This record gives sequence, structure tokens and C-alpha cells, in this order.
Amino acid sequence: MPDIGGIDLFVLEFGDILHYYTPYTTTLFLLALIFTALAIVSRPEGQIDIAFGGDAYYAKETTLPEMRFRRFMAIACGLATMGAMGSGDLFNFTLFASLVGITNVGIVAAVKNRHVLNAAYEYGIVAMVATLPLFGGAALILATTGTLSIPALAAGGFAVPFVGKALLVLGVIGEGMAPFYAAKAEMFRAPGAPYVIMCSLSSLLIFLRVVEIAITI
Amino acid sequence: MIEYLVFAAAFGLLLLGLHRKVIARIQMRPGPPVWQEILHALKFSFKSTWVPKTASATLYIGVVLVGIGIWSAALFVVLAGESILILFAIYMLHKVVEHGFGLSSGSPYGKFGGVRSVISAASEIPLFVTISAIYLFTGSLLLRDIIAYQGVHGPLLLIVPPVAIAMYIVILSKMPYGPFSIVESKELVSGYKTEHFGVWRAGISVIDGLKTFVLLYAFVAIFIGAVPFWAALVIMTGILVTLSFVCAVTPMLSPFDSVTIQGLITGLMLAYVGYLWWVMP
Repeated sequence: MPDIGGIDLFVLEFGDILHYYTPYTTTLFLLALIFTALAIVSRPEGQIDIAFGGDAYYAKETTLPEMRFRRFMAIACGLATMGAMGSGDLFNFTLFASLVGITNVGIVAAVKNRHVLNAAYEYGIVAMVATLPLFGGAALILATTGTLSIPALAAGGFAVPFVGKALLVLGVIGEGMAPFYAAKAEMFRAPGAPYVIMCSLSSLLIFLRVVEIAITI
Repeated sequence: MIEYLVFAAAFGLLLLGLHRKVIARIQMRPGPPVWQEILHALKFSFKSTWVPKTASATLYIGVVLVGIGIWSAALFVVLAGESILILFAIYMLHKVVEHGFGLSSGSPYGKFGGVRSVISAASEIPLFVTISAIYLFTGSLLLRDIIAYQGVHGPLLLIVPPVAIAMYIVILSKMPYGPFSIVESKELVSGYKTEHFGVWRAGISVIDGLKTFVLLYAFVAIFIGAVPFWAALVIMTGILVTLSFVCAVTPMLSPFDSVTIQGLITGLMLAYVGYLWWVMP
């Protein structure tokens, strides 16, 4: 296996499916864990906004039911991200990546603001469309090599198609990276920083993981 | 280990002070003394510290600690010669830290700084194109292997100069007062940093110092190779002065132009790496 993220520190086996952690994926996993813990223990900020056309300003409040729902979605997003960081199976990785897309919409879905909801809707469409290349890439790799195990593919002996890797990366980019992140940036106007930040973090982390996968296999 | 951290933070702050001095001299101003950023960090350490009433207190404080933690980790990754993929992951995650700074306070200035930080994420993509090009040549992403490769074949700066330029632009995008510094531009007061005062602001200074040191040291290690430590410091200072020249003579771009130019650079780099991949045996 090419030495991309450092030597394996820990391998967790579930039958023939395994999770493995290198210094690289451990770093990513720990960051997902830290920000999930912050989402659990932090209360949302009282976001101040400016009323245009005058010098007035007002504070946006996050109600308790809204906070509970968004915190739940942020935790789900954190768990999906952590799963994607250690996954040694391409299909599991794609599942976790699409779960990140769904939970990102969920994090802002409870915000009662037309602008934020429109942005979430647009992001949701892009993320949904992106699952096509995401799963398509994994399917193509399975069809040509007969396996979805990342360590097996990385060990050599398989001609992993470049198109499969490119589709996989494209799918993850569609979940919220440049240049498909325009709607997502607008979602960040929503109050509730500890939850909203998970949208940004999860997209970055799954992108960082797919780069490692694409180079490794 | 702590002495490395203290030295890196102090030298990084000194470089940022020099950055301000060079920009000022080019613009015919006297400018602050070069140790001004160190004085700022010390001053903020002893000023009254508070958390705004509107802030998400845990995140407001936690994100400062996360910022110091990730750049401390980045320093040890570079010094230990570990995978540059970890280093660049940390570079990208700094965006999330900026985002956290901006959003956690509840201030509209901080919030817009955070939102701009997200939309300028296009600046990170050339970084991965850089990594891909380096991997094509060296066959490894461990810094010690890259340095060993340069020991045999010569500096990567001469082998793949466009890749070195791409990383130079990536570092430029993180320099204060530069063309891409939209996250802390003056119409947003101090952008994402606006509401962090006292010891939290001193923490941000430490993050900035470590970040500057790590990025410049990594540039030297990746593109020039093994040099004595004192020589690395001299080269880092030289690179910083060139960055200061660019910042001094270039106006800050609007957010739209900033993202467009970074996108164009990404496109050019993708084409270059595609060409390398095509022609390499």
C-alpha cells in the first residue's frame, strides 16, 4: 500500500470489512470528534443582524425545539463524518458521504428564514445530483476490479479505472466543495454557529479523505 | 518540544512584523517596528479578557484552542518529516477555525468574515494539485522521502517550478494585507477576528505566528530540500520579503474577483498536472 498518510496505527475488523486509521485519517477523525463534542456542549450564539436602511439592529434567537433538532442533526453529521474517515470500504465511504449531504441540509432545515431555506434547497439538489457520480464511481471500480476494499485495491494487482476515481472525487466535491459550494456558503448565514460549522467541517473532511483514497488505490 | 513551539510562534510573529515593515517602506511610510506583532501578542495576553454576551461561549473559546492545537500539530508534522497530506489537511481545516471565530461571536462583522472564509475555499484546491504533482515525481508524500528525493535529483523548485508557484500563491492567500485577504478586510473591521479580545486575541496571534512559520518552512523543505536550520530561516525570510512586495503593490481584490482568480489558478494547475501525468512514463 503506498505510504500516503503514514503507517497504519489501528485496524478495526468487521468480518471482511475493516476500518483503518493512519496518522492522517486519525487526525481527521479527531477533528471531527472535537467539533462534534463542541456541537454537543455549546449553546447557539445570539446572532446580531443589521436592519438595512437605518441604524437599527436586531438579535436572532434560536428556540429550544429548533436547537434540539439542529444539535441532533449536527451530531449525526459528525458521526457520519467520523465513519467516512476510517472506512476501509469504498461503498461504506460513499454511504457516509451521502449521509453527510443529507445531514447538512437537516442542520439548517429547522431555521425559519426564507433565504437560508432557499440556499438549503439549492444545496440539497446539488448534493443529491452529486450522489450519481459518487455511487457511479464506486460501482465502476467494483465492476472492473471485483472488490470495494480500499486496502485490497491499494495493495496493487488491480487496474483501477481513472474514470472511477474521478467520478468518486467529483461526487464528494458536489457534496459541498468548490466550485459547487455557492449555495452552501449562503446556508452559513443561519444562526447556531456550533451546528452550522459542522456543515463546513464535514465537507472538508470527506474531501480530504477522498483525496487520500484516490491517490492510494 | 515546548521550546520548538515558542521559537516557531515568536519567529513567525517576527516575520509578520517584518511583513508590515516592508509593506510600509514600499508605500513610503515609516511603519511599525519589526517586533510589533510580538508586542501585540504580549499586550493582548495581559489585557482584560471577556466573552461577548451574544457569543456561543464554548465555541468562542474552544475554537482558539483548536486553532493553536492544529498548527502545533502541523509544526511537529513538518519537523518529524511526516506526510504533507496531514499538513495540507490542517491548512484546509484552518478555514473551519476562521469560520468558527467569525460565527461564534454573533457579530455581523465576524459572520461576514466567516462567510467570506468559506467562499474563498477555492484557494485550497491548488494545494491538492501541488500534492498530486509532487507525488508523480517522488512516489511518496512523506516529507522525509521528498527531501531524500531532492538530495538525489536536485530541488523540486527547479524540476517543477509551476507547482512551486502554485504553493507560493497558496501562501500568499494566507498573508495579511494581501490581494486575497478578504476575510479580514477593513470594511468588516477585522473580519472574523473582530470580536476576539484579550487573551483570545493573543491566542489568534500565536496561531498566525505558527501558521506563517510552518507554511514557509514547509515550502523550503518541499521545494528546496535539506538545508541547515539557519539557512532555512534565511530563505524563509527572503520568501516572506517577496510576498510583502506582492502585497504592497497589489490592491485587495473584491470577494468575487478573489475567488475568480483563485479558480483560474486552479484550472491552470489542473491542466499542468494533467500534462505531467500524460507525459510521465
